[in-house]
Amino acid sequence: MSFFFEVLIGGLLAGVMYSLVALGFVLIYKASGVFNFAQGAMVFFAALTVVGLMDKGVPFWPAVGLSTAVMVALGVLIERFVLRPLVNQPQISLFMATIGLTFLLEGIAQAMWGANVRGLDIGIEDMPIEWLLDHLRINVSKFDVAAAVICAVLVTVLAVFFSKTRIGRALRAVADDHQAALAVGIPLKQIWAIVWAVAGFVALVAGLLWGARNGVQYALTFVALKALPVLILGGFESIAGAIVGGLIIGGSEKLAEVFLGPYVRGGIEGWFAYVIALLFLLVRPEGLFGEKIIERV
Amino acid sequence: MSATRTIGETLLSVDNISLSFGGVRALTDVSFDVRQGEIRAIIGPNGAGKSSLLNVINGVYHPQTGTVRFRGEVRDRMDPHHAAAQGIARTFQNIALFRGMSVLDNIMTGRNLKMKSTLLEQAIYLGRNRREELEHRAKVEEIIDFLQIEHIRKTPVGRLPYGLQKRVELARALAAEPLLLLLDEPMAGMNVEEKQDMCRFILDVNDELGTTVVLIEHDMGVVMDISDRIVVLDYGRKIADGTPAEVRANQAVIDAYLGVAH
Repeated sequence: MSFFFEVLIGGLLAGVMYSLVALGFVLIYKASGVFNFAQGAMVFFAALTVVGLMDKGVPFWPAVGLSTAVMVALGVLIERFVLRPLVNQPQISLFMATIGLTFLLEGIAQAMWGANVRGLDIGIEDMPIEWLLDHLRINVSKFDVAAAVICAVLVTVLAVFFSKTRIGRALRAVADDHQAALAVGIPLKQIWAIVWAVAGFVALVAGLLWGARNGVQYALTFVALKALPVLILGGFESIAGAIVGGLIIGGSEKLAEVFLGPYVRGGIEGWFAYVIALLFLLVRPEGLFGEKIIERV
Repeated sequence: MSATRTIGETLLSVDNISLSFGGVRALTDVSFDVRQGEIRAIIGPNGAGKSSLLNVINGVYHPQTGTVRFRGEVRDRMDPHHAAAQGIARTFQNIALFRGMSVLDNIMTGRNLKMKSTLLEQAIYLGRNRREELEHRAKVEEIIDFLQIEHIRKTPVGRLPYGLQKRVELARALAAEPLLLLLDEPMAGMNVEEKQDMCRFILDVNDELGTTVVLIEHDMGVVMDISDRIVVLDYGRKIADGTPAEVRANQAVIDAYLGVAH
């Protein structure tokens, strides 16, 4: 029985990591209606910048601070050179622009900091919590728990931000109707710059945690692919959905691998999330917390 | 109309505005002024260029020739959000509300120019930002009371019937406490009772807050009743400008609306 809980908790905590990446997608989609294909590349770019700076001798926290500044600047640049020329263009054009952005970011990151795999130590060890191991015989990693706490804090801040502040409301308004937002006095360009900068910061946090877990390497960009089932489950515009979706995907994935895996010779972990996403698309396409499409005819 | 209203200096003046979209001439050489505190109506047949004129005042369209003077200063190639910052609020003919957001949130966006907290203060939320939010929420509740839309406060706007959406849009425009209110067909699609309500709201706003109103409207009864002065457009040109009595008797207006006998 304790083995079941161990797998479940491990799965849930892995799910939290997926949520962190999904959160970046949700932010940009919620605030500008654009599906940012480049989010994975942003995670990679952020993590690589931190380790690159640390390689040059910059200590951990200053490196993180500098990287935050870099990601914010990146957000402003993306708004200026990628989004602004495409105002009022169809959604698909914006989506394609983010695909191009992916290649650009991956290339620049590797050109600047090299393509080697690098380890990242953020000071939290990947060791079991002794108390739980001794008393309940459950093996839960300290690192996973720390990641969960960080994610929880980030999510709370973002949720409050979106629902109760001026800029949060402005972000939602801009996603809904550009012209109306302009007419009410919301400065479109500033808002977009803000949202991409915040998404960049979230990408940095995700990059640090994933980089510490798997090493900072090109494969980090594919972490974003796992976020897709999370978004489908939770809804593209919902912060709560990103968390719940992540937990469901992470938990069910691990449980399926461990308990159903032996019957199908293993390998479930790779595709199980997508099968769940497929089922959800058939049954509830807008996701658990997504906005229902309102059409008043 | 109340005797306590005072009509003051020229607030907005539009001079020789010409606007074309490719070969289509939407406005040709239109000039008129709007005085502080008055209710100015713009009327004319469909396609006369009334909404285009409002869009020029608001900064959505930039005219090829002519100037717009607001509060004495000439405005050059202004964005709608600059116009909003200057104190111009508007409603739209086909409703431009944020459909996925609730009525309350929509009206709160109208307050956004009045809110001063920075990004960091908002991220922390507690403290200055929270106090500010509560202040503005109180103001918004006053407006909701005034327009009698308490019962739909939390409803997503996309689910409301057309008439109520129009009222919410008016509320959002009022939330900005504007100097100049541009209303594009605020009574479209309403029955007699609702029109009377809307008239009362507009008159109250003009009376108590001194807000200058420019409104486009097709209902002649309403226009003749509540406006101080009227501009008549036809095929992009101004064909009459004056008080309701003057405009009603103007032959050119009668021709444009009723048609010339062959």
